[in-house]
Amino acid sequence: MEGKPGDDDLDLFDSAVLLDEALRQEGFDDGYKDGLISGKEEGKEVGLKTGFQVGEELGFYRGCVDVWNSLLHIDPEAFSSRIRKNVQRLEDLLEKYPLLDPENEDVQEVMEAIRLKFRIITATMGVKLDYEGYPKSSAAGMEDV
Amino acid sequence: MELSDDRHMELREIQKLEGHSDRVWNLAWNPDSTSPPMLASCGADKTVRIWQQGTSGSWVCKAVLEDSHTRTVRSCAWSPCGKLLATASFDATTAIWRHISGDFECIATLEGHENEVKSVSWNASGSLLATCSRDKTVWIWEMLPSSEFECVSVLQGHTQDVKMVQWHPFLDILVSVSYDNSIKVWAEDGGGDDWNCVQTIDEISSGHTSTVWALSFNSAGDRMVTCSDDLTLKIWDTSSNLQGMNGDTDSCKLWEDVIASGAGDDTICLFYESKEISDAKPNYKILLKKEKAHEMDINSVQWNPKEPRILASASDDGTIRIWELSEVTR
Repeated sequence: MEGKPGDDDLDLFDSAVLLDEALRQEGFDDGYKDGLISGKEEGKEVGLKTGFQVGEELGFYRGCVDVWNSLLHIDPEAFSSRIRKNVQRLEDLLEKYPLLDPENEDVQEVMEAIRLKFRIITATMGVKLDYEGYPKSSAAGMEDV
Repeated sequence: MELSDDRHMELREIQKLEGHSDRVWNLAWNPDSTSPPMLASCGADKTVRIWQQGTSGSWVCKAVLEDSHTRTVRSCAWSPCGKLLATASFDATTAIWRHISGDFECIATLEGHENEVKSVSWNASGSLLATCSRDKTVWIWEMLPSSEFECVSVLQGHTQDVKMVQWHPFLDILVSVSYDNSIKVWAEDGGGDDWNCVQTIDEISSGHTSTVWALSFNSAGDRMVTCSDDLTLKIWDTSSNLQGMNGDTDSCKLWEDVIASGAGDDTICLFYESKEISDAKPNYKILLKKEKAHEMDINSVQWNPKEPRILASASDDGTIRIWELSEVTR
């Protein structure tokens, strides 16, 4: 039987289909809102944790540099010229670290340069001083060849 | 000794030195000509053994340096004066020992590498020491008059485990080889502590196609040989910059005209430069192949600097063998 679909018929089918769509959209909106809130909170937590870790490590090196500089202030000959130069270089690197710009692509590079410079200084001084916080670059597994 | 295609040479075993309780990784002949012939060996049993040749000609173990390294000792090297011995270990440290009338005392411990140290080498004057490690870096140390060591520079560039470092016989130029298949040449620029990589030889520049395990210079400093997992030995012209020639593993050592190499196939091969007039470019040929020289992999071969026909080899079988290269009498 062929009948011309009247407006009423259209509305009837449309609302059934649209209801499905409307509910989906409502669900999505709710989820998105909740997600935004919990995402922000998680982001804050991660930021706080990472910021603390970076800050603690840089602070450690800064502290060492301050002590060494104080010592040099009292006795300029306390360390060899090579060590003095390296302490200065470490200080420069610490200044250079983009502390307020965590998205800066150099952060990893500068941090590694700082860690290496610190290891060179302590190795030359013959001092066993390690910052315990970060994972070593190739600690995973031991090798025997 | 004139080597040519007509002469028949043989490698005769003089003595087998036993004592290590695990694989022997490396050997070093003491270069000091004023003291009796001495050989240092090191291995996976965490010890370093010092062997001396008595008046009768046989070798005995004079000292065992133990309780110092806490893991495998991978490499050892005497300073040019022969009074100091550097030992590099998987425990990430390099120990420096002073030898005074038969006794060995540890005078310094160099720390800094993040993990296993693979090799150590003294420069010609004995003022600089280079170490390399699985942490991909090469460290250069300067020895001060007080026997203290200062880190001069840390060389970064290799992308994998650095297997060996060796200084040029008289220039302060350092060469390193690595698991990343490349050979790198390092030199200092300008008199300060500014060390840089001046050349990298990789697959593209006709270098090796697999891990490069070892390198060695001839005493004239114009030839360098490298050996690799790609089963070849390559001989390089180091008179100006490094250009490759081709020769065909784990360890190699160049003695004037003869290159000795030991490998995982338990054999020692000797190669020499064939000086036929017809050859346009240098040509290296195999002099002899000693099969089953050891029962297991050979990790190191070293020519005696004071007695050119004597060769020492170290193996996974825990022994060291002393060989003499001589002509077969017919």
